[in-house]
Amino acid sequence: MPDPLILIIDDEESMRDSCSQILLKGRYRVETASDGTAGLEKIRALRPDAVIVDLKMPGISGFEVIEELGRIDPRIMAIVVTGYATVESAVEAMKKGAYDFLPKPFTPEELRMILSRALEHRRVALEAETLRREKQLLEENFITMVSHQLRSPLVAIQQYFEVILSDLAGPVEDKPKDMIRRASERLTGLLHLINDWLDLARIDQKGLIGKVKPLDLGRMLRKLVDFIAPSATESGATLEWRGPDNEPFFALGDEESLEQVFTNLLSNAISYNKPGGRVDISLRREPGFIVCEVRDTGIGIAKDHLPLIFDQFYQVSRRESKRGKGSGLGLSIAKKIVEAHDGRIEVSSEPGVGSSFTVWIPASGRSGEGA
Amino acid sequence: MTTSRLKIMVIDDDPDFRAAMTAILTSVPYDVVAAAGVADAKPKILAERPDLILLDIMMDSLFDGFSLCHSLKTSKEFEAVRTTPVIFVSAVKDLAGSRFGFKGEEQGMAGPDDYIDKPVAPADLLARIDRLLKR
Repeated sequence: MPDPLILIIDDEESMRDSCSQILLKGRYRVETASDGTAGLEKIRALRPDAVIVDLKMPGISGFEVIEELGRIDPRIMAIVVTGYATVESAVEAMKKGAYDFLPKPFTPEELRMILSRALEHRRVALEAETLRREKQLLEENFITMVSHQLRSPLVAIQQYFEVILSDLAGPVEDKPKDMIRRASERLTGLLHLINDWLDLARIDQKGLIGKVKPLDLGRMLRKLVDFIAPSATESGATLEWRGPDNEPFFALGDEESLEQVFTNLLSNAISYNKPGGRVDISLRREPGFIVCEVRDTGIGIAKDHLPLIFDQFYQVSRRESKRGKGSGLGLSIAKKIVEAHDGRIEVSSEPGVGSSFTVWIPASGRSGEGA
Repeated sequence: MTTSRLKIMVIDDDPDFRAAMTAILTSVPYDVVAAAGVADAKPKILAERPDLILLDIMMDSLFDGFSLCHSLKTSKEFEAVRTTPVIFVSAVKDLAGSRFGFKGEEQGMAGPDDYIDKPVAPADLLARIDRLLKR
């Protein structure tokens, strides 16, 4: 471990020299700067452990240095020194993020003590940060590991059911076939449940959405449709992208979580559809928003259920759905994600005719700046 | 006119998955060649020259599947089989970020021709294979 690096920023040469002398005796490495600007350059380049900065300097003041230091790296400790010690300036300095305040004149002992406390504070903070990061990594790995261990055998079982039910393992009588079909539905439900719980655990762990960036929703949705369309066909429904094409639709979003939202909406639309039904997805612009609509010709949702469908665990009857849907968490997570984007999600439906889910996401400026 | 059957290679460390895929594929009929992992697969690909490859990306390390795909599509070693379509098969939906946005692309890795989730719906799999073989 190298000795701590201390940067002294003071316009008075005598101060820089005497402080250096004191600190070099105490097993510190020392750098100096004669003004705020030079000091900030050295902070950026050298990343010292602590900075001793004079408040009153020509050019940018000690206050500005402390403020900027906080933006560069708030874990670097700042100790403010000045000959014009007042309560006001002390409070001001602390508010701007200084660790402590040392009025001139001070003894070598006083300087060493205050520096020692500052560095101890830094050490503790850095340690806590490392522990937090390690814990987070462990939890993320744990979640992935548990999910894989739970899913793997279930997926293997389900795969065999799929083969049997597709008549690819030889003829099966109706009665056992029905039972296997039923078993397979229950298994699908369980797999969905694990996915949903996994989502919840990860959301808890990481926060609901990642960093929001300008995202071309048109491109994202077209890719999604390409991917999902074959399985839609296999379920007896037609999934179609209704455009428009050839123009970007930039919204401010986190790609991963928005994909989750639209995957959920599309797979619901497919699952709850009539045989030979349609699912259409399209985009349009509204002032300040990009709006995506997912329409299906499915069984629809009863009027009194409509306000409840985004509630956690709420599940509309599965009597007519092709495969058992999951835990009912999907739509509630989707709504939370959309709202975390400062957007909204709406539904309209007519039982027996179909449903339409509309998602509003804040638009991003053409060049990628915020709306 | 004799037409030989098309040959599909299944690369997966799970013997149950290999058995299930074999049942699905031989029903078409396709010929099936199986490999239990990347090391097992490499010499078999060159020897058997499959018409399409199903590649599980949940074997031991995520990287194995991704890097095999990249090798198949870009390296000199596999030049003779470069145009072989590859379908990624995955049991866990979002490893390495979004499964639709193959993150490997951001690191300059060549991606697969299609993706499919486990458990595989036989009709879905056969439709995707058909689409790729017709190209």
